Formats: sequence, C-alpha cells, structure tokens
Amino acid sequence: MRDVAIIGVGCTNFRSRHPDKTYFELAFDAAKEAFADAGIDKSDVEAAVYGIYNDFFTRQYQPDAFCHDYLGLPPIPAMRVNTGGATGGSALRAGYAEVASGLYDIVLVLGVEKCADCFDYFTKNPVPEVLRAILYTSDMTYDNPIGRTAASGFALAVLAHMNKYGSPTEEQMAKVSVKNHGNALKNPRAQSGMKITVEDVLKSPKIVDPFKRLDNCLYTEGASAVVLASRRKVADLRLKRPPIWISGLGAALDWVFPGNRESIAEFHGCRVATKKSYDMAGITDPLAQFDLAELHDAFTGTELMSYEDCLFCEPGQGGRLIDDGTVWPGGKLPVNLSGGLIGCGHAVGATGLMQTSEIVYQLRHEAGERQVPNARRGLVQSIGGTLCAWTVSLVLERID
Amino acid sequence: MASQKISKKDAFYRYHASRLRLPEEKLRPIYDDELDGKKAPDDPFEVPDKMDVFFKYSYGGQSRFFREILHHEQLLGSKCPACQKVYCPPRSACPRCYEKTEWVELPGTGKVEAFTIQHYSTSAFVKKVPFLVAYIRLDGSDFLMMANIEMDDVSRAKPGMPVRVAYRLEKSGHITDIYFQPLDE
Repeated sequence: MRDVAIIGVGCTNFRSRHPDKTYFELAFDAAKEAFADAGIDKSDVEAAVYGIYNDFFTRQYQPDAFCHDYLGLPPIPAMRVNTGGATGGSALRAGYAEVASGLYDIVLVLGVEKCADCFDYFTKNPVPEVLRAILYTSDMTYDNPIGRTAASGFALAVLAHMNKYGSPTEEQMAKVSVKNHGNALKNPRAQSGMKITVEDVLKSPKIVDPFKRLDNCLYTEGASAVVLASRRKVADLRLKRPPIWISGLGAALDWVFPGNRESIAEFHGCRVATKKSYDMAGITDPLAQFDLAELHDAFTGTELMSYEDCLFCEPGQGGRLIDDGTVWPGGKLPVNLSGGLIGCGHAVGATGLMQTSEIVYQLRHEAGERQVPNARRGLVQSIGGTLCAWTVSLVLERID
Repeated sequence: MASQKISKKDAFYRYHASRLRLPEEKLRPIYDDELDGKKAPDDPFEVPDKMDVFFKYSYGGQSRFFREILHHEQLLGSKCPACQKVYCPPRSACPRCYEKTEWVELPGTGKVEAFTIQHYSTSAFVKKVPFLVAYIRLDGSDFLMMANIEMDDVSRAKPGMPVRVAYRLEKSGHITDIYFQPLDE
C-alpha cells in the first residue's frame, strides 16, 4: 500500500442557509479553493469521490454526476459515497483507497450538503421538513413510522450509558456545548460561535431528553474539498505547503438496528474503527500522542461518549475529561477547536472533510487564533447512522 | 368564449397549491415579493416543490408478522433453528447463522431498556409531542425493539419499567398498529 498525503483543502463558510448557491455551486467554490491551495490545475486530477448524504436535501437523486459536470471534470471517473453523518469521512476513505492502491496519483474528495431548501409550509420553518427528509434514511419499516429522529436515537444511547455508568451528567454535556460554541468564535467559517454558560444550555428548550436545544448541532449548508496525492506525486509537485499524511485509517459499520448489538451504551463500531486506525499509525497513548482531535459532536452527550470510544479514557470516564480541562483549548488534547458540529456546523456530507481541513490547517500551523502550538498529529472521528452505525477514524500527521 | 384572465400571483399560487396538494393560504404570501417584481435580477429565485412516489410495498418474508397483527392482534418473533435466538422485529433468515427462521408467538410483554421523550419531531409528528420512543427488551426475544410507549403521564416512565404490547383499533398494516403501554395501565 502506498503512502497518501493531503496536499490541498478548501472549505466554504458553514451557514444555516446559502440561498445564493446551489449544492453544485457550493461544491465548485470548495473545489476551486482546494485546487489553488494544492497549487494544481483541475486537469491534474485523475479521479473524484463525492460525499453527499441526502437526496431530498438536494432535491436531486445522483447529485454527484451533476457536481462532476459543473466542476468541469469529465471524463475522469467519479463516484458518490453516502454513509449518513460519516459521509465525509467515508468519501476520504474511498479516495485514500484509490491512491494507496496505486490506481491514481491525485484524487479530489469533495463533500457537500444543502439542507435548508426543505421547507415545512405549515410551520413556515425548514427544520421539521429537514428532519422528515433525514428520517427517510432511517429504517422505513420499523423505525421511521414511530416518529423517532436522529436525535432520539443518540439520546437513547446516552441514556443507556447514563443508566449503566452514571454519566455523563447534564452539566457535563452542557460544558461541551459551552466549549464548542466558544471555540467556533475563533473560526471564521463557523456558523454558530457564541459565548454561553452552562446555565444557558440547561435552560434552553428541551428537544429530546436529555438533549436541550444547545446540546444539538445545527443544520448547515456548506462544502469542503480535499486533494489527495501519492508520495511520488508529492515529490514531483514541489508543494508550497507541507503535505499532511494519512498515517492511520479505520472504519466500521455496526448493526444499524442497534437492538441487535450486545449493548447500546457504547459505540462498539467506533471502538473497532478507532483501534484499527491506531494500530496502523502506532498510537498506543492517544492523550499523549495526539495534539488535537476533531470528533463528531452531533450532540454533546455523544462527544463525551466518543472520548471513551476513541480510547482517550476508560468507559464511563468521558465526563472527567471535560471537567478536568483535558479537552478544552490549551488542555492536553483539545477537542473540536473548529467548533465541531455544534459550533462550526453539520453540513453532513461536508462535515468529515471540514473536520479534516481543520486538522490540516492546524498541522500546517495555519489555524490563526485557534492554533495549537507546534501541532504534529491529529485525529478525525466521522460517525453516522442510527446510534453510530458508521465510523471512520483517521490519523493525520505532519512529517518534516 | 374568452377565458377569464387571472393575475400572475393568483395563477402561481393556484398552480402550486393544486400540484403540491397544499392549501393555498400555506403558500401565501411567501412568494409575493418575487411575484410583485420586488426582487433584484440576481437575487435568489425560489419556487415551491416536493418529491413523492407512491408505493404498493411488499413486506416479503416478513409479511406474516404484519398480517398477524392486522388480523389476530398477535405479536410474532422469528427463531433461528441453529442458534435458537429470537428476533423481533423478525427476520426471514438469521443474519448470524444464515438459517431460515421459524415463526414463534411472543407474549407481548417486556421491559424498557432505555426511553426518551420527544419534545420536537419531524413535520409528520410535530403535533404529537411530547411522546415516548424506547428500546424494549421483549420477553421471548433476544434483541431490543424500538417502539412508542403511550401512557397518561410520560413523566412516570422509568428504565426497567414493565410494558405490554397494545393494538390500535383502526389498523393500517404499518408497524404503528402496535405500541406499548405500562403493564399497570
């Protein structure tokens, strides 16, 4: 298997709505920025992978083919990847495989999502219709008809975790919201930077127990692109910026009917994917070996569970890391300096690549006010599906 | 006979209301600025739309599960003859052993593994809130089933609470023909 580097990234602003851009126009902006960032021409690209989650959001099935056309990339090969919330991470995994296998030397991986054209005419609000569109990706026979949402799936996992381990507490979850909204203030691309208090979170309206409104990520529109290259190409290109190497990669698809799992109180698939990526990259002590991590904080409680399932600590100990400062800016392992999904936003197909671009900026030491001094190695966790069905875990490194 | 000329606005709203099967007043006055010519040439131009497809959906090898609920108010599971595990929701083949399963009757009782109260939901359910969504450990089944619990006071729900299946009087052939109630209600 050949080594694979990220040589360019591009990311649009993450916003609640971009009424002035279609999904393929957002994709265009991210791709153009990524090509310029890598210092390549679009004619250098040999294949493309598109991460786009929801066909109702785009009001278009097979939106990847239309992106490809608007990006002017025909006739190079391209395919679309869709693994729910993990779509961005999975698209990167597919692109990685194409380069690592020797099939291509330069591959574009592009994630895009545009949800807020969905609109509920009865409440004059996009959100209930966005939720309805999402629920077409839950099981249509047993789960969709009962009115569950993505939030209630994850809420059930957090509640099962609370029943089993006595944690996380609602205060610990609120601290994650305070941290991630605060981090987003320093990210110009972020949708929802805010200085808030634990009290603000606890007093925000209930959505799905135990999640209040400020425990949830937002619906976001945006696009993010990554250019991958083989080691040979990295040597040829005379890059202006340091390449960032993908030194570890693991993935899993757990039982998507979580009732089939041994337990719903942990994300077993995440643990499997994480372990695989750590073994590949030689990570044995994540708290010491990573300088920062971007975890999929669709909900505050799931970020806390992810500390455990990304093996930062023992099961049941996740809340401790938010209490003792470990995961805050300046802590031993800052988590979600971009603001994460809660602060920067969750533009589903683009999210995993937004997280990746944050790690790339950090490892290149281009992250401005958010910069972790001398960052060398970071983790991306991209998860999706009912109670974390899909996980992609990526270890990114700068090697000078 | 000359057809009656209607305004650009009325024509637009009438067309979309009919096509989308929405009351016209739900669309008005969202598009008035556009139709009154108040938008600049390069402002985003928005239009109403929807996507839908009708089905005559077959439950395939799971058909008997839904038919027993519809006609006999009986909850079934499917049992693997090799590993003896019982699935509900049912599976026509065991995904672990790859053996064809056999139908077994379930008593319809169980315990709540975890539950949450939905204070918000999709446009299809937003009028029903607050309501309960739970994972239920059914007696006689080896796996959890996601289902609604209906009870007079949702604040009384507790993990571990015993529940039993209940059947709607008016059935649709969907999974919502069943729901769960606390055993003591």
